[in-house]
Amino acid sequence: MMALLPPSDLQASAREPGPLQAWMNSWRIWWTMLVICLEERLVYRGDFILGTLMRFLPIVTQVFLWTAVFGATSRGDIAGYSRNDIVAYYLLTMVTRAFSSMPGLASGIARSVRDGSVKKYLVQPVDYIGYLLAARIAHKLVYYAVATLPFAAVFFFCRSYFPPLPDASTLAAFGLSLVLSFFLGFFLEATLGMLGFWFLEVSSIVFAYMLVQYLLSGHMFPLDMLAGIPSGIPGVSLASLVHWLPFEYTAYLPAAVWLGKIKGADLVWSLVIEAGWVVVMAVACRIAWRRGTRRYSAFGG
Amino acid sequence: MHNSSAPPFGSPAPLSLPPAPGAGSGTGPVISVTGLAKEYRVYDKPEGLFSSISGLFHRTSRVVEALKGVDLTVEKGEFVALLGPNGAGKTTFLKLLSGIITPTRGEARVLGAVPWQRTDEFRRRFALVMGQRNQLWWDLPAAESFRLHKEIYRLEPARFERTRDELVDLLDVRKLLLQPVRDLSLGERMKLELVAALLHEPEVLFLDEPTIGLDVVAQHSLHRFLAKVQAERQMTVVLTTHYMKDVAALCKRVVVITHGSILYDGSLEQIVDRFTSHKIVTLDLDGPPAEDRLKRLGFPYEIRGPQVILRIDRTRIADVLPEILRGESVRDVSVEDVPLEEIVAELFRSEAGQAPAGSQR
Amino acid sequence: MARYLSIFLCCARACLVRDMTFRANFLLECLTSVGWMSMNLAFYLLVFTFTSEIGRNTGWTREPFFAFVATGLIINAIVQAFFMPSAEELTEMVRTGGLDGVLVQPLDAQFLLSMHRFDFSSLANGFVGIGLLVWALVRMEQAPPPIAWLLYPLTILCGVAILYSLIVMLAAATILMGRNQSLYDFWFYLTNFSRYPAEIYAGPWGSPLRALCTFVIPILLVVNVPARVIAQPFAGQTWGWVAAAVVAAGGALLLSRVVFQAALAKYRSASS
Repeated sequence: MMALLPPSDLQASAREPGPLQAWMNSWRIWWTMLVICLEERLVYRGDFILGTLMRFLPIVTQVFLWTAVFGATSRGDIAGYSRNDIVAYYLLTMVTRAFSSMPGLASGIARSVRDGSVKKYLVQPVDYIGYLLAARIAHKLVYYAVATLPFAAVFFFCRSYFPPLPDASTLAAFGLSLVLSFFLGFFLEATLGMLGFWFLEVSSIVFAYMLVQYLLSGHMFPLDMLAGIPSGIPGVSLASLVHWLPFEYTAYLPAAVWLGKIKGADLVWSLVIEAGWVVVMAVACRIAWRRGTRRYSAFGG
Repeated sequence: MHNSSAPPFGSPAPLSLPPAPGAGSGTGPVISVTGLAKEYRVYDKPEGLFSSISGLFHRTSRVVEALKGVDLTVEKGEFVALLGPNGAGKTTFLKLLSGIITPTRGEARVLGAVPWQRTDEFRRRFALVMGQRNQLWWDLPAAESFRLHKEIYRLEPARFERTRDELVDLLDVRKLLLQPVRDLSLGERMKLELVAALLHEPEVLFLDEPTIGLDVVAQHSLHRFLAKVQAERQMTVVLTTHYMKDVAALCKRVVVITHGSILYDGSLEQIVDRFTSHKIVTLDLDGPPAEDRLKRLGFPYEIRGPQVILRIDRTRIADVLPEILRGESVRDVSVEDVPLEEIVAELFRSEAGQAPAGSQR
Repeated sequence: MARYLSIFLCCARACLVRDMTFRANFLLECLTSVGWMSMNLAFYLLVFTFTSEIGRNTGWTREPFFAFVATGLIINAIVQAFFMPSAEELTEMVRTGGLDGVLVQPLDAQFLLSMHRFDFSSLANGFVGIGLLVWALVRMEQAPPPIAWLLYPLTILCGVAILYSLIVMLAAATILMGRNQSLYDFWFYLTNFSRYPAEIYAGPWGSPLRALCTFVIPILLVVNVPARVIAQPFAGQTWGWVAAAVVAAGGALLLSRVVFQAALAKYRSASS
């Protein structure tokens, strides 16, 4: 049988790994990356235990502030949130932020464009965006692994502030919105980073994005509170305007879902908008990459 | 006087030279060190994932003895080299003498002051220059750094300007003064560092590996500058280095440090006598050498083409040489000391407490 | 001493010259800090649409509250401009051995290490703070008495002194430990508590926290005392607060110096 095969074919099939092998190779690389991340985190042992717990401190101040606000007025709730709801809300936004925040993603991409290290991704048969995504997933998994304990401790400690556990469908919606927020956050920042192909100083653009996101993502306060604020457009409140922007899905939505502030048709609609934004940004990112690399190669790099 | 830094050859104290001629010794030695030692606790870095996790709860550590009880005396006007391989403790020694760190035990006095008390008065009288590490302010042009220096050291303006101009012209760096320091090359930065260090006319100058990373030309001009300035101002200079070239060009006195202890303290020439027992005899022969004859001589030899290189015990040279010359058809012969580099390299390699190969007993 | 002043001026001039060379960057950094601060101001305005006062009968209605925020801006601007940049550089200096160069100079190491680099763009927030203060004071019914105008700058300086001491102690920790990023995060989180009037820390958790942050680590005295002096009706009790601030400032400066000197004595120096 073997004699019937021309020798060159034999050699060829021995040299190239089949698709399964290539797939397993990339998994192995990904696993090594994960382990190295974990080791790196653990080296600065004092840092990360303390650091993770420290992240909850600003919430403490905010909670005291809101308690004082509730103490001054005789209202039972503000925009549908009782004082306990607000505490729960802040804690839940911490969870969402753990999924959707992408520290250093945009600036990292811009930097690799600036110093030329992006070249190797143009040459190698590696999908840059895919690589970044895989790296981020690895980072996030490591982060969750080490942060779960402190997070769980804090949530257990504050369990009295939470309303009773939501039902299964709400939990499922919560989970879905979390996963979507990861991808949304990723593609938002990745696209911003891609602007590094056109602008030298992406940091100012990233900063402006951070500013708007800080205010409109629900990080600082539940966005329902914007319901009473006019937006300048007659008949449309600021809250409804913000609803169409992608920002509220990076912090506000999952928290609001868990607390039951968004239900039924509204909930479905929100998830649809969120998914829509993920698709839009993913496409934008891909287009930015294609156009950017074409422009980059035209300049010789 | 017993000390723990005795070289491994059994002599009771390291050799030290009498003070250089012309050096005023009226007020006692400029630097005197007794039993100075420095130990560090170093934590082991965990390798691998499992130890990283267990490293969270418990870390092993060990004590590193950077300096093991060292004695030294330096008189005014001397130019002393601290020679030793990396990690020998010479930089630690210099840091102790400049007061940057405090010792674990022992005493030292520089210009009568205890360095690690870091009095302003003391700090105004000496200067430290570290190779590859900047003390000049990065963002300022050198001229501004010098002005700042004048404020910090409280220099009288007219004198400061005179000294500055003198030094700047000597090193030919006038055109570099207005450029920010970070834009300059290593050699240029080194020159400016030296100017800054000498602006306040220190009595003692500590140099930590000043020629590291510099090209040959820069090294040479540095040597010339240091030699000139030191002679003119009668500065006491202590220079650490692992380059023989620095030592040969500048210093009469060499202190060899390895593994935190002083192995040798004396002149360069005496290192040869002290640490080697043989000389190198090179023979240029007419024809191929008779190997059996060479073997019978009983000395290690090496054949390189038409040359034969023998290592002959110095006490035996007078006997052996005539015999060699009689037997072979020798065109040329030379008798040389073992090269300094080789001796020192061998010294560096030897463990403290073990005699290097071939040394006198 | 005049010498220290002239050294300070020399460094300040050098930093200013450098900032003006990179003018665009400088303006951007001014905008950055003002931007963040505007977001926070918008948030406070939002809060005041739901209530007229922070805390029941505390006196922190809208204008006094904004005067409080303004005071915080002024104090933080001073600290961020004059002391933080040098402290932030310290980690790098310890790592590269630049600290050695500082230790051999005949100058107080603490002075040099805490005051050689400045960030003048941080002053932008301070100016906004002054504007905000003027706005708030103009709209308040009761103008502060003359004595308040005298005590306000004094208590601001006390606040700055307390924060400065904190920075020096963090710097001492950096020198001892070589590197610790979460220390500077620690700074951010700690000063976070001083952002709001002390009255909000009430209740079973709040009161001990308030006591801790007033008497042990007196960060609550930093902004609260000057804000109280200028924006709350001046009473006998106010003198007590002023005295507390002065004592805390003095004590903090002393303690931080002792700690810093101790850290220098234990300095290991990067290996060659």
